Amino acid sequence: MSSLALDPKVAVERVVGVGVLVLLAAGPAVFNDYWISTILTQTLFFGIAASSLVFLYAYGGMISLAQTALMGISAYLLGNMVTQRVPGGETKGLTLGWDPTLALVLAIVITTLIGLVFGAVASRSLGIYFLMLTLTYAVIANYFFGQVTQFGGFSPIAGINQYTPGFVGDLIDHPDKLYYIALGTALCVYVVTRYLARTPFGLSLQGIRDDPVRMTSLGYTVPLHRTLAFGYAAFVASLAGILLVWWDGQIAPGNIGIGATIELLVMCVIGGLARIEGAWLGAFAFIVINNYVRDVELPVVGGSFNTIIGLIFLVIVLVSPDGLMGIWDRLWGAIRRGGGGGRPEPAAVGASTAREAGSS
Amino acid sequence: MTEAPTPVEHAAPTLRLRGVGRRFGGLVAVRDVDLDVAHGERRAILGPNGAGKTTLFNVIAGDLSVSTGTVELFGRDVTRMPARKRARLGLARTYQQSRMLLGLSVEDSIYLSILGVGDGHLRPVTLPRKDRELRERAREAARRAAIDHKLSELVGNLSHGEHRQVAVAMALASEPKLLMLDEPASGLSRGERQLLTDLLLGLDPEITLVVIEHDMDIALRVAERVTMMHDGRVVVEGTPEEIRANQLVHDLYLGRHHYAADE
Ligand SMILES: Nc1ncnc2c1ncn2[C@@H]1O[C@H](COP(=O)(O)OP(=O)(O)OP(=O)(O)O)[C@@H](O)[C@H]1O
Ligand SMILES: [Mg+2]
Repeated sequence: MSSLALDPKVAVERVVGVGVLVLLAAGPAVFNDYWISTILTQTLFFGIAASSLVFLYAYGGMISLAQTALMGISAYLLGNMVTQRVPGGETKGLTLGWDPTLALVLAIVITTLIGLVFGAVASRSLGIYFLMLTLTYAVIANYFFGQVTQFGGFSPIAGINQYTPGFVGDLIDHPDKLYYIALGTALCVYVVTRYLARTPFGLSLQGIRDDPVRMTSLGYTVPLHRTLAFGYAAFVASLAGILLVWWDGQIAPGNIGIGATIELLVMCVIGGLARIEGAWLGAFAFIVINNYVRDVELPVVGGSFNTIIGLIFLVIVLVSPDGLMGIWDRLWGAIRRGGGGGRPEPAAVGASTAREAGSS
Repeated sequence: MTEAPTPVEHAAPTLRLRGVGRRFGGLVAVRDVDLDVAHGERRAILGPNGAGKTTLFNVIAGDLSVSTGTVELFGRDVTRMPARKRARLGLARTYQQSRMLLGLSVEDSIYLSILGVGDGHLRPVTLPRKDRELRERAREAARRAAIDHKLSELVGNLSHGEHRQVAVAMALASEPKLLMLDEPASGLSRGERQLLTDLLLGLDPEITLVVIEHDMDIALRVAERVTMMHDGRVVVEGTPEEIRANQLVHDLYLGRHHYAADE
């Protein structure tokens, strides 16, 4: 790029990013057990799942409601493969009792393949039709695991985190270890996703987001690109699913129901659908509210968590369609205009902020 | 390429249409068009609004299928070939209602245009040497279209005229054998028009050019042959001189606002 001088906004973002990372890396030295094992670990893996949704939207222009289902599919696969039928032990699912490392790899690979099939079927649909198809996937996955008792059934498959690969070790008594695994995974997902945006695959995906017809006449095979993007997003979601069962120990239909699907979407919208960072920001906001605001009593409307998150959601959507990250971006636009002489802020298309996310 | 092309090599015209028609429901936008454009030729397509020029372009590029007739490109029947494959054969086009990649930078847009006709669309890694070469080509095309001062600007932030320049740069960058421009001068300032005319006049003689243009000044200066369309049909074909002298052309077109507006 031509300008050597670093954009002040990018500079500030880097400083904030590094600061957050240092804080998170310090982990238990800074945060108490509750924060590590409940707030932050959940933020990290729900953020990973949310980032797969944001990736599809920000770079591909596709809103997928199947990410929670894909997360759940990988969790169910792992649960079915690792748990053992022992006296007094788990009785749900297939209880195959396979080697946890093998099961881990298979769960990720199979989920990714399912994602590719889902993606191939949906790749020719756009907008609301794409959204409806992915919602269908979510509903099918939910009913499948809820009703096919061989694979799960109504009650959860439990005790999955007793069977972790040797290189992971015991997570039940070492929540810090799971926290660091989640942190490392989240970091990798973030870096790889940002990197992808600058590769031929990622750039052409963004071109398809902006105008699929134009990209076709430039020589691109649009459905193939969309399919592969969906496959990558399924892969990312599968990682979140693994972390979910390692954290919670169990997986139930409720984890992949419509409620959970909507919650992931709410996280993304709160954080901001246009930038990948928004995924973790939104997950953090959601989980903090979930844990601290649960028992707050509001006048008139009462004390339901859903009411409060709903109100916050409403306010954010009204104030900033691009969520908290969008407020941040807008703030800089205002500062630049106020200061005068700065670069004009990109037009307020959702795509423009997505471009920024992938630019440095 | 080894030597100067022999006549045999280009015996088949770059573009050949036979009996091409296109209907939209009951509306016949293009009917029974025969057209031959030779290798290296500069062809202008004129005609009043709604004559079917853009529809004809869409049919040639594969964005629309034909209702009747056949399309041949570079000696091959491509009537059933999808648009992306025709692009990879060496056809590049711009759009009248500029279809731009608004969320990408100018350089990235042109880069994608080069990548589109090459390999490695799905490459999930950056290759410094390869990408540097592609980006150098992208910047070169931007220079030729005089948009190289906006390389890292988002296309969504550019003016209409600049969109046209980016579109031309994108088309040039893919090094097409057949370049099709749909009203490249519309909305351009006088200076930008001059630039565009120079660019088209200086085009590599190996490139075949088909241009739809309402600006008669540009069209008649650039073109060697002119095809006049009206009501979905080709009504006159000839050299710019013949077109200027043709009474039907005057009746249909030259006497109207276009000429006055662009003069
Ligand atoms: N996708 C479409 N669906 C229905 N009708 C169409 C479509 N595209 C074009 N038409 C109609 O076909 C006819 C020819 O349109 P076309 O755009 O090809 O004309 P044109 O010669 O390019 O005109 P202009 O100079 O205004 O660009 C018009 O009557 C137009 O309304
Ligand atoms: Mg037209």
